[in-house]
Amino acid sequence: MIDGSELFPARRATRLPGGYMGRILRVDLTTGSFTDENLPEEPVLRKFIGGQALALYILLKELPRDAAPLGPENKVVMMTGPITGTGLTPGGTKVTAVYLSPLTDYTLGRGASSGFWPVYLKAAGYDGIIIQGASPRPVYLFINEGRAELRDASRVWGQGARATEDMLRAEVGIQDARVMAIGPAGENLVRAAMLCNDYNHNAAHSAGAVFGVKKLKAIVVYGTQRPPLHDKEKLIEAGLRWRKTLMVRSVDEKKTAGHAEDLHALPNLNYRSSLIQDHARGFEQNRITLRPCFQCQRLCPWDVEIGEGPKKGAVGHYNAGSEWLDTFFNLGVKGNEALYLAERINDLGIECSHFSCGAAVAFEAWEKGLIGPADTDGLAFEWGNVATIDRLLDMAARRDGKWGELLAEGPTQVAAAIGGDAPKWVVHTKKGTPALHDWRPHFGQMLREIVASGGMKPQGGGSAKPPPDLAYREKWGPLDRDDPTGWPWSQVLSEQYRQFCGLTGGCWFAQMHMKPDGLKSVSDSLSATTGWNFDLDEGLVAGHRSMILQTLFGTQRGWIADHDWQQVGERFLEPIPDGKFQGFTIGKWIPQMVYDYYRLSGRHERTGRPFMDTLQRLGLEEFNEWAQLD
Amino acid sequence: MSDKYGNLIPTGRLLDGKPRTILFDATKCIGCRQCVHACKDWHDHPRTSVYEFSSSNWIQMEPPVLEGLSPLWARNSCMHCEYPMCAAVCPVEAITKYEEGPVVIDPVKCIGCEYCVYACPWGVISKDEVTQKASKCTMCAPRVSADKSPFCVQACPVGALDFGLEEEITAKAHARAAEIGGETYGENEAGGTQVVMVLKERKEAYGLKFVLPKKYPAHKIPLGLMLKDLFTPRCGVSGKLRALYLAIVHPKRLAYRYWPRRA
Repeated sequence: MIDGSELFPARRATRLPGGYMGRILRVDLTTGSFTDENLPEEPVLRKFIGGQALALYILLKELPRDAAPLGPENKVVMMTGPITGTGLTPGGTKVTAVYLSPLTDYTLGRGASSGFWPVYLKAAGYDGIIIQGASPRPVYLFINEGRAELRDASRVWGQGARATEDMLRAEVGIQDARVMAIGPAGENLVRAAMLCNDYNHNAAHSAGAVFGVKKLKAIVVYGTQRPPLHDKEKLIEAGLRWRKTLMVRSVDEKKTAGHAEDLHALPNLNYRSSLIQDHARGFEQNRITLRPCFQCQRLCPWDVEIGEGPKKGAVGHYNAGSEWLDTFFNLGVKGNEALYLAERINDLGIECSHFSCGAAVAFEAWEKGLIGPADTDGLAFEWGNVATIDRLLDMAARRDGKWGELLAEGPTQVAAAIGGDAPKWVVHTKKGTPALHDWRPHFGQMLREIVASGGMKPQGGGSAKPPPDLAYREKWGPLDRDDPTGWPWSQVLSEQYRQFCGLTGGCWFAQMHMKPDGLKSVSDSLSATTGWNFDLDEGLVAGHRSMILQTLFGTQRGWIADHDWQQVGERFLEPIPDGKFQGFTIGKWIPQMVYDYYRLSGRHERTGRPFMDTLQRLGLEEFNEWAQLD
Repeated sequence: MSDKYGNLIPTGRLLDGKPRTILFDATKCIGCRQCVHACKDWHDHPRTSVYEFSSSNWIQMEPPVLEGLSPLWARNSCMHCEYPMCAAVCPVEAITKYEEGPVVIDPVKCIGCEYCVYACPWGVISKDEVTQKASKCTMCAPRVSADKSPFCVQACPVGALDFGLEEEITAKAHARAAEIGGETYGENEAGGTQVVMVLKERKEAYGLKFVLPKKYPAHKIPLGLMLKDLFTPRCGVSGKLRALYLAIVHPKRLAYRYWPRRA
């Protein structure tokens, strides 16, 4: 292992490129001490840029290989990117946290979030934070204009994410301060606990549990600095071009069943029907407010004030997507009660799919008579029973009782406890859960869910057509339902450019719609910010590098590519039971599609280890010992 | 311009002499504050509080709560008055009214006397604690000179801000107000301004100020402040000499400063 001091030079030998604040804050919660680390030298920055890749490179160097995910030795490395917080591009709002995942216990965990917090972390003078050790008592980290301190969090311990945000903002006395916090789920080490920030934003996939182990309730940031820019005029120009490629969201679509409408499938009653019915009933009476992220015109986040029904007057805060709607549709809840429960689960800080896939198995077991009132302390596990679900949310977040414990552990553990055929009904990938939609009719999305790092919201999700900026050289297909040819390469390539966008500090939702100039405007924004002459090819290589680092992290801890298709819930690969895509499944092309995906991305199809020439091409020779040798 | 203003305030031309107006449609505003941050970004201002006016925060959205958390939003910033009292009271002629609309403070000429801060009917001028100069929105005058819209306007993600020739924007505002059964604000206040707002509710509901439709509205520069300027070294000797010279050359301006109600 290379000494950390090499990575963080005491005195920079190379220039600090534009866009970076130049410092990473190291927090040791065990001793309560802080260290300012200089950002790595320019060649390292150009290679990893920021976000997941830079954070993971640091984690690979620092995390002991025998660290336990819920032990104090696990670390969280959080990184923004150079375009985070410039204010002059859409989507420049990202922070990515990496750690050993408590969901799978052996693969990378990644939580990414947007909103305002990442911008104010940079305004406080830091590009990222390394969190290590564990505090003996609940604390929160307050970073104010480059000064960090740990403060007592006993007053907010036990509070939901929203109340914590309000209380800590009041406590530090700065109205502009931004808060990222865990809810009760993180405190109680629910395996899929989230980080929640700026009301509408969550970093899912169990970063919250790692915070919980460390007794770190929240990170409050405030500052007035802005990242220096290499060429502001060019950045404005690139940002305006980028803006033109956005698919802007609207109030009207918030009155529909959400993403299920685009997918033509909606998970009902534990993925046993995909029909969209009156799920969006009552939504038309809601008052919707769009609440965009910092200087992004895509307008994803939104708030609701429910306008009818038993939950009338309740307020909720959501981001793009609609996993949290499908989460409760999957449990038989419809209409505004689903929105109400979605706000509850976000406030408690539980990743919605993890809860839904677990609870749905229990509900199916109730329906089929495997469990009864004697097993549930009198709770009726009936589809659509809002009171039961409401209660189960609290129980899960606090590991209260048998079902609270099981739901906090995860869907596979719920099924194992129920026994019988229940394990066949679980939707999961390597014990994590997919972003909760019914992806089953869609090649690209299914493949990305399966090869993601275990329930971690995957990037990629190849589409049927190459993005216009790459159409001059990329061609694949035929992409139709009877032929899987082309999909694996589509996934490899889309994962590369979405990874790249994330590394810059950009949000891949802000460039996922494949309009002409969409990708080029991202690389031009990076060039204008940093002063590097970055083209799309270099961006794709950087994205590829990030994918390979992710693999290496798993490889070092016993993961192999075969696990990707072997450890998938049966239900997830069953044919679609009804609707437009009835009978379709990608199951018949598994594992071949997974093999192709790994092979095409320079990794061995069974072990997932990168080949030596892949490492050399990407400048990752220092990891040669983990390469596939044949 | 000289017919309209005499030599009361400095005037100038940036482009073609045609007056322009900013339109703020409160019915479309979602309170995201992208205009506020865009203003900071364009001017490289530090990310100071977005909730209060300062030399680095020239737009303030009302009410001062987290973005998105109010059903009604109003924009507080320089209204770019047609008859700007800030310019009329400035003892050193540091504030210029441009034909295209912008009212701009020249930080080089400013001596930090704070008269404009008190004279502004909307209270949108602040004094920089470090440089001791007054500052406020410039309507992005350099961008207007290049025939571009102010940076806040182009940043708005929901089309609540618009910019264009005065007659076109006024017509748009009237049409929109008629369409929603609302009213406009800014057309008559202080004798007319170059920011017009379309409101659905009454202006009080937005926290907007009541300002009489009078040119160069009366101000309340504290007597103590004026006495301080007359009898202490405040604002520097050169500043005082410049103020004295200009008072002799343009005595009519003194009325606006010292007897605002009579002026």
